Amino acid sequence: MSQSIGVNCNELKKEYDACFNRWYSEKFLKGDPKPECEELFKKYRDCVLIAVKQKQIDKLLVEARKDDPFSSITEVNK
Amino acid sequence: MVKLFQHTFKYEYNWDSVTLAFWLRYPNPFASHVESVDVIDRYVDPKTGSLRTTRLIMKRGVLPKWGQGFIKNPEAYIIEESIINPKTQTMITRTKNITHARVMQVEEWQTFRVDPNNREFTQVKTEAKFVSKFGWGLTEKLEGFGLKRFTDSSLKSRKGMSYILERIREKQLLRGRKLMNVYSI
Repeated sequence: MSQSIGVNCNELKKEYDACFNRWYSEKFLKGDPKPECEELFKKYRDCVLIAVKQKQIDKLLVEARKDDPFSSITEVNK
Repeated sequence: MVKLFQHTFKYEYNWDSVTLAFWLRYPNPFASHVESVDVIDRYVDPKTGSLRTTRLIMKRGVLPKWGQGFIKNPEAYIIEESIINPKTQTMITRTKNITHARVMQVEEWQTFRVDPNNREFTQVKTEAKFVSKFGWGLTEKLEGFGLKRFTDSSLKSRKGMSYILERIREKQLLRGRKLMNVYSI
């Protein structure tokens, strides 16, 4: 598995990724969109956001996320 | 001045496997410069049932020798946005660099669909755009460099995906005999 930007987030990332990959293959792709890894994700994301801030890329990230690339794409849902 | 790149490719794996490989694609032997990958945001859109994900990718050593003079920080951050509709079996991804964007903004779009000629294969359309606002007469050179680099790196990224897809297939075959975790590659 890939590393996290935050060295101390690796364990949380590993747990979350394992949960997500299983859910993605066994539930989401099979037509069940109900989320299952929310709690693991919250813990992992909180950790990542601290690391993002420490590396001072939080503002760049906020700026980049203002542009939603799919806002005008309806093709995906056809 | 903007440079464009377009490419269509076919993976001989089904769409489910290819989209899973997209999540698992780092690390792989063809992407040693990728240091970290993190999910920043992820949710299922209740209206469409599509999965929206934002990931932050950190790479190192992405500049040519003659570029290292004016870029002090060798870390490069990339934002990867994706949307997956499992009903229409469409995945669209958009990646762009968020650091060094004045030197060069590379924006890549990929669309993954089931191959219309073979349901077991997946078609991927890649489009990329390179824009440099650097000036000093270097814009042309940078954009040309970006295009060449992108051609090389998109070949590497296909090799990386194929490597991961092969691992997924091996694990799925093994799983038939013994319970194995397919997802921890």
